[in-house]
Amino acid sequence: MTPVRQIPQVQPGRPRSGLGGLNPLRTVSIAWRAVLANPLRSVLTTLGIIIGVASVIALTAIGAGSTANITKSLEGLGTNLLTVSSGVVNLWGGPMGLVRQGGPQTITLKDVAAIQALGSDIEGIAPTLQRNAQVKYEANNTNASITGTWPDYATVRNSPAEFGTYFTDADNTGRKRVAVIGYQVAQDLFGGSEAALGQKIRIAGVSFTVLGVLPDKGNSGFASPNSNIIVPLSTYVQRLGRTESGEVKVSAVFVQAADKNQLADLKTRITDLLATRHKKTDPADYDFSVQNQADALASVNQITQTLTLFLGGIAAISLLVGGIGIMNIMLVSVTERTKEIGIRKALGAKPRDILTQFLVEAFVLSVGGGIVGILVGFGLAYLGGGALKISPVISVGPIVLAFAFSAMVGIFFGLYPALRASRLDPVESLRYE
Amino acid sequence: MSNPVVQLRDIRKIYDLGETRFEALKGVSLDIGQGEMVALMGPSGSGKTTLMQIIGLLDRPSSGQYGLRGQDVTELTENERAEIRNQEIGFVFQAFHLLPRMNVLENVEVPMTYAGFSPLQQRERALEVLHKVGLGDKWKNFPSQLSGGQKQRVALARALTLQPSILLADEPTGNLDSKTSVEMMGLFQELNDEGTTVIIVTHEADIASYTERIVRIRDGLLESDAPNPNRQRVAGGVAL
Repeated sequence: MTPVRQIPQVQPGRPRSGLGGLNPLRTVSIAWRAVLANPLRSVLTTLGIIIGVASVIALTAIGAGSTANITKSLEGLGTNLLTVSSGVVNLWGGPMGLVRQGGPQTITLKDVAAIQALGSDIEGIAPTLQRNAQVKYEANNTNASITGTWPDYATVRNSPAEFGTYFTDADNTGRKRVAVIGYQVAQDLFGGSEAALGQKIRIAGVSFTVLGVLPDKGNSGFASPNSNIIVPLSTYVQRLGRTESGEVKVSAVFVQAADKNQLADLKTRITDLLATRHKKTDPADYDFSVQNQADALASVNQITQTLTLFLGGIAAISLLVGGIGIMNIMLVSVTERTKEIGIRKALGAKPRDILTQFLVEAFVLSVGGGIVGILVGFGLAYLGGGALKISPVISVGPIVLAFAFSAMVGIFFGLYPALRASRLDPVESLRYE
Repeated sequence: MSNPVVQLRDIRKIYDLGETRFEALKGVSLDIGQGEMVALMGPSGSGKTTLMQIIGLLDRPSSGQYGLRGQDVTELTENERAEIRNQEIGFVFQAFHLLPRMNVLENVEVPMTYAGFSPLQQRERALEVLHKVGLGDKWKNFPSQLSGGQKQRVALARALTLQPSILLADEPTGNLDSKTSVEMMGLFQELNDEGTTVIIVTHEADIASYTERIVRIRDGLLESDAPNPNRQRVAGGVAL
């Protein structure tokens, strides 16, 4: 063959690139235009990928946000903390899964005294009872979670007052109607923390004097520590508790160890003590549980890991479904554009060029869907986070993964239709109507 | 023939339709020289379109030999055939076959994208050939905004971008009115005057009369092959 003649003013015969002589940018822009030619169809096609990616991004962001909150709350609960709860701890149950709400309360104040008697290893101890109640000051009212406890609560739960003071042991034994209120309660009733000091509020109809106000603790997701009111336990039992005769039973006892290294040992000793006192021999029968703060953190991490795997599974399935959608529409597209393929082949497109064109188109569809999905996921994370009062934590990992995965789906499911297009016979394609 | 571009030797094309076999070409031998303007005539079903598809390397003969510019192209791979279609053959079809979603300029650029030209080179050359066919000002338009004659000029410009050895036109005036048809033939004549080999497949004697040699096919065989003594020329006035 004689050499190809030179075209005036133009340098022909540039080496063909890896895209089969096609300019990569041009190829993507052609694919993009093919996608835009049928906007509704393209959106519907990529919906599977959009939903899959968006849900993974949103759920992981909210999940990471709530994990961060829980971890922060657990760490803010106090240091070297053991939680002794009535019944069996159900991690999904109560606030932060630490305290089981409802159900029979099995720990008596005598149990608490016995724990206290274990010795100097115990820095502080605070038995608690909780309920929700309406709180009023003049015309203002709000709802709060009322905790009846001992003064040690301030140190054991790492919850000192910002303004004013805590109640004392004397207040407790004297069943004084005094209260330490949360930041939000002060805001709702008095418009500020300092204005609340010394005022009289009515908790479930009972008048209490505000001794102190807690600092703003931010929002921790499930529980809202700013809406707490802390009152002496004996006052609570007399004025706010259920009218039950007999021994006072509490829902949880918070025990602070003097030293972190004693936590495990103390946990065993408390467990043995309560088992003996409650006459239980089989751990399966225990009507109480003793939780270490570290155990709770470990549990949270475990749940997070399970959740992540679960989300990964959902993502994989929805991306698979999305990929099948893309394959389906690409097959339709190849059939519809049989004539175009014929024309392109007549003009010199090699099978590889046609393959590239359709593969890039599937790729653009799926990656476009992935990008839209990531953006929708951001939106959902902030919307959902706002509704759940969790600030979502968006990390790079899931974004990169979702992006890479959708790109792979595009190539994988675009390959078969693209191969079919590349193998079409030019004569028959040109004849196709 | 001193310098044949196309050399066909005993070309046969058999379509196997399961129980029946249809022989579209029954042994056609034909030489077409450099710079000739040939009409390939015959009634429908004569095999002229099949022959054109074989000359254009869109289809393969069942047997026989095909030489293009001295090279045997009978046994080439699909990729090699695509490259020759791209570099050596310019197609003009009856139904124009423009890509509807692309504008005129982009349509003209298509063959060059497959030849590996840079976007800038493509643009320059495309505008050049569009000017040549008198559509330099229409490059932004989409095919749907053009008349039939304009569409066929775009198709012609597209066929010319890589300076093909052969311009292969399949019923190029089939969808045009008679005035536009004559204009189109004028364009082909001027290109031929510049040295391009032109093969026009047609069943209209009127169109064939603008060529210098008329090859007639009937039932898959050459019926006649003769120079056209009464060649018509399109008078000046066609923009080129």
